Amino acid sequence: MKFRGKIIDIACLNHFTRVITTISKLTKTCVLRLTPDNLFFVLSGKVANGGVSMWCELSQANFFDEYQMEGVSPEDNEICLEVTPENLSRALKTIQNAKAVKVKLTKKHCPCLTIAAELPTLSSISRVVTHDVPVDVIPRRLWNEFKEPSMPDFDVSIYLPPLKTLKNIVDRMKNLSNFLVIEANLSGEMNLKIETDLVSVTTHFKDLGNPPWGDDASQDGGPSQSRDPEAMAQARVDIRKLQQFLMGQQVNPSKAMCNIVHERGRPPDSAA
Amino acid sequence: MNCILEGSGVKAFGKAIHALSRIGDELWLDPMVKALALRSVNSAHSAYACFLFSPLFFLHYSLGSASEQSSETIKCKLAMKSILPLFRCLTSIERNVERCQISIGTPDDRVMIQFFCRHGITKTHNLRFQESEALQAVFAPHLCPNVLKAPARLLGDMVMHFPVSQEEITLSMTSQRVSLKNYYEGGNDHMKTMCTEMSLHPDEFDYFQIGVESDITFCLKELRGLLSFAESHCLPVSVHFGAAGKPVCFSVDDIVLEATVVLATLSDSESRGSSQPTETLAPSTPKCADAAVLPVGWCDGSKAQDSPAVMEMIPSSQGSPITNLPALMLLRPETDDPNGRGVADEAFASATLSPASSMICSLLFRASQQDDDGRAARLPVLACYSDEEENLEVDNTRSPSL
Repeated sequence: MKFRGKIIDIACLNHFTRVITTISKLTKTCVLRLTPDNLFFVLSGKVANGGVSMWCELSQANFFDEYQMEGVSPEDNEICLEVTPENLSRALKTIQNAKAVKVKLTKKHCPCLTIAAELPTLSSISRVVTHDVPVDVIPRRLWNEFKEPSMPDFDVSIYLPPLKTLKNIVDRMKNLSNFLVIEANLSGEMNLKIETDLVSVTTHFKDLGNPPWGDDASQDGGPSQSRDPEAMAQARVDIRKLQQFLMGQQVNPSKAMCNIVHERGRPPDSAA
Repeated sequence: MNCILEGSGVKAFGKAIHALSRIGDELWLDPMVKALALRSVNSAHSAYACFLFSPLFFLHYSLGSASEQSSETIKCKLAMKSILPLFRCLTSIERNVERCQISIGTPDDRVMIQFFCRHGITKTHNLRFQESEALQAVFAPHLCPNVLKAPARLLGDMVMHFPVSQEEITLSMTSQRVSLKNYYEGGNDHMKTMCTEMSLHPDEFDYFQIGVESDITFCLKELRGLLSFAESHCLPVSVHFGAAGKPVCFSVDDIVLEATVVLATLSDSESRGSSQPTETLAPSTPKCADAAVLPVGWCDGSKAQDSPAVMEMIPSSQGSPITNLPALMLLRPETDDPNGRGVADEAFASATLSPASSMICSLLFRASQQDDDGRAARLPVLACYSDEEENLEVDNTRSPSL
């Protein structure tokens, strides 16, 4: 098992750091899956995670200038590691001005991801900072749990309003209730509703736009063409989980999508 | 003592107090002819800091009234809790305070701190103090084999890679490089701790002198206060140290002030310092390695040294005889004692350097031995404490009001 990568572009380093920092706000540990073309940060939706699952796919070419990996075996050319994203985030945050950052899988006192950065200095010789982040290698037999989740058949897919706005609203609603109902329709309208014995509050959003799944939808999902555009699909979620997701966002996505499966007891998926 | 600070001097003074508060819970205020000294030491006696402000730093600086003997300057000890809040918010001090007057008056055991602020507002604070002997570390930086000097920015950049919660750090020096790495105890968390290491080339330092290759481990938290002070004043920081186990001294100075932080370092049982007398006369447990010696003495200025009250001979908990430190440790000429006689005494105290450490670093409180002649320099006792009870016992005996 080998892995070596090198980032030399400051913008890429910055973006990579922000993605990892976002993930570190969502969960204490997660799985890093390395394949020849991609890096995946996966949190599988077990009970231990409160039912929250996360799937983050990064194309390695977008970040790394050099990237070499050799998986567990030629047939299973992947590496699965359990990491603490906060450690990675801490390691990366202080080296944002590096000339080059190398990430390697190493074995020190335990398997580690070693992040070595060359920092610019006034003299000709660079400063070197090395962080050894301990990781756990995940054996092949457990790899099933970390496969890409299939997108369920959703009823409605809609672009979310600016996440900051959403966060402000959800923060305030959290004081009133533990559960929130998200509903949206295919006309770009979305409502956030809470209802308690004493009070009910609804926030309405309009003109959000719906992602065009249409013919491109190669997945099982895809809104049925016959669905009434005004009909709302609803799902009830735990506010705190939603808030946790919104709090961590540092990536400033260009688009955030929400797919709702109507009252299926499955929380909506949000993809950025 | 009566002094007046103006403008940015108040902020600098406040920053010094912040740095000292990182070290200990008590502040020793010692007005001397040549400077006003602010000092602090931590409860384990493994960290000591001293800020000296020369009279030039102040708008006005005078010691006592003319009728008093010059030797009667009051030396006092204040609780950090009572003085730190006055200087806590430096930005608002910078904005609002025009002048600050500090005076120590005998009649009622109070230090009066007055802030003359904008809009004609005057804030007066009276803090009770305990009269105390001055605290002073006996440490000779010019005897240290290794010396580094670097802009504060550089050291700040080095420590920034370590999390704020990092307790201890190891500084290694060879002729090729200087490196810092985090120090962690072996144990359960061993596997999960992130290890960080950074190294610099000697060229990055303004001054680089290596006498002996060494790795010293000391508490980073206690140092951050000084680094922050140095950065805000753009002063270069000098680092003097030797082999593991010997204290490390960080200092900054400019025309009007001088600041020093002396930290004990963990000693390595393998590298039982060649320059440090190491035999312990106490029955030692295997993990009792050499102590890092932070000689800190009670300096009595020009008072004659006969009073037995000053002689604090504290036996080590192991029942070892008390010995005097060899003349290796020189008294820094900080007292204005014309006879050059310091307090002839030592109290031994030891404590753990840090909770995580199983190596004991002990500190010797002492002053120089003027009457040392004839007496063969015997080896110091390095009492090893592994129990809390013994620590308490020591703390009690180390009451400064003699």
